[in-house]
Amino acid sequence: MLKFIKNNRESTVLIAILILFISISIADSSYLEIQTLTMVFSSAQVLTLLAIGASMVLLTRNIDVSVGSTMGLSAVAVATALNAGFPLPIAVLMALFVGALCGFLNGVLVAIGKIPAIVATLGTLGLFRGLMLLWTGGKWIEGLPNSIKELSSSDFLGVSYFGWIILFITAIFAYLLSHTQLGRNFYAVGDNLQGARQLGVNVDTTRIIAFTLNGTMAAMAGVVFTSQIGFVPNTTGSGLEMKAIAACVLGGVSLLGGVGKVIGAILGAFFLTQIDSVLVLLRLPAWWNDFIAGLVLISVLVFDGRLRVSIEKATKAQRYARFRVDDKERSDGEQKISSISTKVKKENLS
Amino acid sequence: MKVHQIASWEGALAILIVAEILVFGAINPNMLSLNVLLYSTSDFIYIGIVALPLTLVIVSGGIDISLGSTIGLSAIAMGVLFKLGLPVEMCMLLTVILGALCGVVNALLILYTGVNPLVITLGTMYLYGGSALLLSGMSGATGYEGIGGFPDKFTDIANAMVLGMPFPLFVFVIAIFFVAMILHKSKIGRNLFLIGQNDRVARYSGIPVASSLCFAYSLVGICAAISGILLVSYFGSARSDLGTSFLMPAITAVVLGGANIYGGSGSILGTALAALLVGYMQQGLQMAGVPNQISSALSGGLLIIVVVGRSIVGHWDLILDKWNRTFSAYQATKEAK
Repeated sequence: MLKFIKNNRESTVLIAILILFISISIADSSYLEIQTLTMVFSSAQVLTLLAIGASMVLLTRNIDVSVGSTMGLSAVAVATALNAGFPLPIAVLMALFVGALCGFLNGVLVAIGKIPAIVATLGTLGLFRGLMLLWTGGKWIEGLPNSIKELSSSDFLGVSYFGWIILFITAIFAYLLSHTQLGRNFYAVGDNLQGARQLGVNVDTTRIIAFTLNGTMAAMAGVVFTSQIGFVPNTTGSGLEMKAIAACVLGGVSLLGGVGKVIGAILGAFFLTQIDSVLVLLRLPAWWNDFIAGLVLISVLVFDGRLRVSIEKATKAQRYARFRVDDKERSDGEQKISSISTKVKKENLS
Repeated sequence: MKVHQIASWEGALAILIVAEILVFGAINPNMLSLNVLLYSTSDFIYIGIVALPLTLVIVSGGIDISLGSTIGLSAIAMGVLFKLGLPVEMCMLLTVILGALCGVVNALLILYTGVNPLVITLGTMYLYGGSALLLSGMSGATGYEGIGGFPDKFTDIANAMVLGMPFPLFVFVIAIFFVAMILHKSKIGRNLFLIGQNDRVARYSGIPVASSLCFAYSLVGICAAISGILLVSYFGSARSDLGTSFLMPAITAVVLGGANIYGGSGSILGTALAALLVGYMQQGLQMAGVPNQISSALSGGLLIIVVVGRSIVGHWDLILDKWNRTFSAYQATKEAK
């Protein structure tokens, strides 16, 4: 059991999701429906995309706290392009390009500028937010065409079009990470930068690609957000950067790099959103949200951290078991040593 | 060599502050009056008050991103305690204790789980921020008004003058003195530097890692609580969202001040100067008529430029070497042709 959790770190959050579902269903049987699942999924879409992107960057042992602003900037890009009369696919591509550019800039600052990732992205957090406000003049963008809203409102098999696209993206990223050289390079760079370099991985390019993918995913999140609420407020995406990282951490993506899976990040995002929906169901006022999310996050972290410490201890004990001497053997051994040393002394004397 | 380097960085920061004030003064001459320079500190100096102890934490190789929430929690706690009918002095004392408790909880969680401080304080950021919202919701305070009705005696605190300085600035100066003593002249400070350089070596050489870290994080909590109280006194109302805008500028100030984000180096004077730099930048932009939001872009840009500049100056030999090598390789290929 312990070994299973150790090898599948995302199982912790899966268990937490199941426990939450079961306990709520016992309290209120109407919760136990497929519809609840799709409802939570649809409100988790933005966070899911951000978490997918964040996990790429976290895997390479970096961190990106600028995604909220990137998301805002891309949302403005898609909205402005649509209002200027561009067709939907072109507008979305433009937004994705803006996001990729933002991510690329982060990557260059970190990989080539050799600035610690948290410092660089802290700077771009302010920079992108300011650019967005400069672009819009601090106003909201409204009056978007219906074409983009339909992508979220109309659905196929109970899941919106964007929902299907997100599932598809998830599949692509899962494949990328587990079956392609690029994906394995992410793990290698995050686990051991020097080692990866020695093996011939181009570490700078790999990190820049990770950041660019993250920026693109943030842009996608901006597009989905715009489509879901139908306008772009000037605070779009602020505060979500920390939530995305929290989702990844919940899902077992390590901040120390090289460990984690996309599916874990998605489960983490799902869980964080599910808590909100549960609070609505329990008719608790909205001010409980952050408190409970924090409490759950802390307990998962403590549980996960202690679990890892104890697993490490157990493996160490196993590894060195053959060197350990029982008390009886030890006393025997000490007697032997002392008898030998007295013998040696005697010989030396004589 | 190293002392010389740090001193030159602080000199550069001081020159930057003067240049900044002069530039803004050229745009808006009001900025150059001493009164404006003194009184405008009351708007931003809280960045400095929390950035000082944060330097201690960053020097020890950790980080505390829950401090914004701690400010909010202390502010709202101050209001709730006052509403319960406790005397103001008692409320302030209890609030400071609450802040210290928040810091100690951070440190204990980090030590107990062995998880990255960034992650733990991310969790406590939600926890403390959520508690602040919870407290304000339960006490019936509405989001933007908060808890008001404090006596004049309390609201006068932040507007009082001490030794010719506004009270928040006075607190900042006192804090610089104390925290600089702790970091640069005391045993705990040396321990924190060593822990930041190499955690494991510090542990093996018998340095009290746990108590040193508890001290550093609780100091952040205490200073966050003090800023919370000052903010409540300054605005005259206790709100749960008072502190959130101070987190990123505080980290910016520490990094600009020359601390290594991975731990092991940093200086209090640098942080203090950088806090003034960031703060006057916000003020100056506001006075120059630049909207509040765009100043965030400019301070973000400033952070990147300064850090890149420092990185270039720091790796100058390396860059020169690489340039020479590419240049000679280019010439060699040219000759071969």
